[in-house]
Amino acid sequence: MKKRSGRSVFIFLCAAPAVILFTVFMIIPTINVFRMSLFRRSAYSPTEEFVGWENFSRLMQDTNFIRSMQNTILLIVVVTIVTFALALVFAAILTREKIKGQNFFRVIFYIPNILSVVVISAIFSAIYDTNNGTLNSLLSLLKGETVSILWKGESMVMVSLIIAMVWQAIGYYMVMYMASMSSIPQSLYESASLDGAGRLTQFFQITIPLIWTNIRTTLTFFIISTINMAFLFVKAMTSGGPNGASEVVLSYMYKQAYTNSTYGYGMAIGVVVFLFSFGLSALVNAVTKRRTLEF
Amino acid sequence: MKKFLSVLLAAAMAMMMLAGCSSGGDATTGAPGNGETNAAETAAPEGGDGTEAAQSDVTITVAAIETAYGSDMWTQVCDAFTAQTGIGVELITDRNLEDVIGASMAAGSYPDVIHLATGREAALTETFIKDQNIVDITDVLSMTVPGEDVQVSEKIAGGFTETSLTNPYGDGKTYLAPMFYSPCGLFYNAGLFEEKGWTVPTTWDEMWELGDQALEEGIYLFTYPTTGYFDAFFYALMYTVGGPEFFDQATNYAEGIWDTPEAQTCFDIVARLAQYTEPTTPAQANDQDFTKNQQLVLDNRALFMPNGTWIVGEMAEAPRADGFEWGMTALPAVETGGDRYSYTWFEQAWIPSGAEHQDEAKQFIAFLYSDVACEIFAAAGAIQPVLNISEKLTGDNQLFYSIYDNGAKAAMGNFAAFSPIEGLDVRTVWFDPVNSLVAGTITEQDWIDGIKAASDQMRANLIQ
Repeated sequence: MKKRSGRSVFIFLCAAPAVILFTVFMIIPTINVFRMSLFRRSAYSPTEEFVGWENFSRLMQDTNFIRSMQNTILLIVVVTIVTFALALVFAAILTREKIKGQNFFRVIFYIPNILSVVVISAIFSAIYDTNNGTLNSLLSLLKGETVSILWKGESMVMVSLIIAMVWQAIGYYMVMYMASMSSIPQSLYESASLDGAGRLTQFFQITIPLIWTNIRTTLTFFIISTINMAFLFVKAMTSGGPNGASEVVLSYMYKQAYTNSTYGYGMAIGVVVFLFSFGLSALVNAVTKRRTLEF
Repeated sequence: MKKFLSVLLAAAMAMMMLAGCSSGGDATTGAPGNGETNAAETAAPEGGDGTEAAQSDVTITVAAIETAYGSDMWTQVCDAFTAQTGIGVELITDRNLEDVIGASMAAGSYPDVIHLATGREAALTETFIKDQNIVDITDVLSMTVPGEDVQVSEKIAGGFTETSLTNPYGDGKTYLAPMFYSPCGLFYNAGLFEEKGWTVPTTWDEMWELGDQALEEGIYLFTYPTTGYFDAFFYALMYTVGGPEFFDQATNYAEGIWDTPEAQTCFDIVARLAQYTEPTTPAQANDQDFTKNQQLVLDNRALFMPNGTWIVGEMAEAPRADGFEWGMTALPAVETGGDRYSYTWFEQAWIPSGAEHQDEAKQFIAFLYSDVACEIFAAAGAIQPVLNISEKLTGDNQLFYSIYDNGAKAAMGNFAAFSPIEGLDVRTVWFDPVNSLVAGTITEQDWIDGIKAASDQMRANLIQ
């Protein structure tokens, strides 16, 4: 009896720090965000006034918020699909095919991921420059006349963000897919090719099903990281402009909370983002549920 | 008993961890400055009405934005203040000051003096004004400048402490001290005008004529760094079109003011100017690329841009067209012989309500107008709004600051403060849409409708 209670004390002691830290730094602040979303208050002022659901009902009529939400969803969908497809293909090529300079390509693809967003935004500022940027110069060369696309102009700014975000994310996911692809036994591919399966069939029938667990995990990553990274990219590259055309939901939340003195309103946006990313992740998880295949 | 003991131990462990976290608050931000003097937390002494006393045990925290003027001048002024009064200063300067001090302020630890400017992206000063979280410093005006025997009010040039920027609530009390003023206007390449034989337009009609003429040579009439620069431009434009009375009504969101002919003229001018704007401008009108727009003027690809005198220092290293020479003009008049205005832009120093050493902070603000401080600032190009300063200026600054001697009137003030409104602020309603006007994605009427709707809400939320 004494031994058992000693054991539970030990377990309790081991778990306590983590539980306390998690409670203090995760659970309480999250509850606080939910609480503050029901108040009218500013970031630096101690006074607050209870307004109930008013912040949320205002949100639904705020066209700037709706536009920033649309932009965020656009980024989640497009960046996820493009990055996912490219990373998968490149990972398959680099693990399955024998090409020269494999390691070189691995490093090259991964480099954008270790660069800070500020550096990336400086690089893309040079690429997107209208008058003597790399992209317009290249297009001018191909077309034979001067091309002056406004990459950071109102109509193209989201496309520009998508290109930069895909470029940054691709290496990270590629490495993750490569790790699980390389653990698939070679014998499976050998027997498949004896049965007459081509490269594409092998990719869809063997590779994808066997790394499915990994793919599911990365899909959740995609949702969370796109929401977060979009904020950094927007802050560093466009400041949400021109005229709010590239505003995403977190940059709009930041503006409302800190520069417009409407902290409660910002927290209401935070609540929406919280529920949205939670819901979307759960949905993706449920939709992609398959029987786990083992080898 | 054992269980109780274990809970106690776990709690103690957690407390230790938390204590470890909270002590981080004292760490000074990696700012250049005079020494790592960690504030010795002694109680602030009473009084301190300008008379210097041996208060060497008090250290105040001064947070100042680092701009084109650099941060060295702040270090020197803080040293001079300490030498004069014995009050220590812990200086924080940074280009993104709001990010550096924001977190600790949200946690309740405020600098004693903050030097910033309104109109910045982070809008920290506006936030404090809206929250009414700024100390009334009217008494500083009657304080004696440390080290001198004159009052602060005798030093500050006329008009500077009577604007809505320093007295945001219109109650006759001063909350923000005026700092580093700069005439704003349209900057251009004087060398190009000379070369082409063009004259600088004095009316908007002449401006449009010049625009057509320049466009034939492939030069656009106008560009702007970011839409944030439209505040000074739009204020001066309102003065030019309707005079001080119209400006006052408009900036107080008077009912029906945006339906008046004066307002319509302002909108028409901006909308027409948008058509003459260099087309790549909106794509570069963000915090990262705005210098590319400024470069358009240096490269003779655009004629005019709204800016302030700091532009000379900001673009000092930039390449430029042969024969380039800075020129600056007030906004053109609406009709021949009409009034022309140049907006007087200035920064502000203020004390947050949560500051610990408010009396010493007031002394510091008073010291900012001393001859010693003014000279240190002027050497870096930052001009304090004190009397007779223009006699001490040299070079480009002499030319720029003489704009008011050459017939232009001074425009001061800004939109009246209102309680925070969810999803609505001045810049996104008035100035950001200019980007869309240039790109042609909205019409002038869309812009005006947005302003009218916002103005109604702001009027209802005015801080009285």
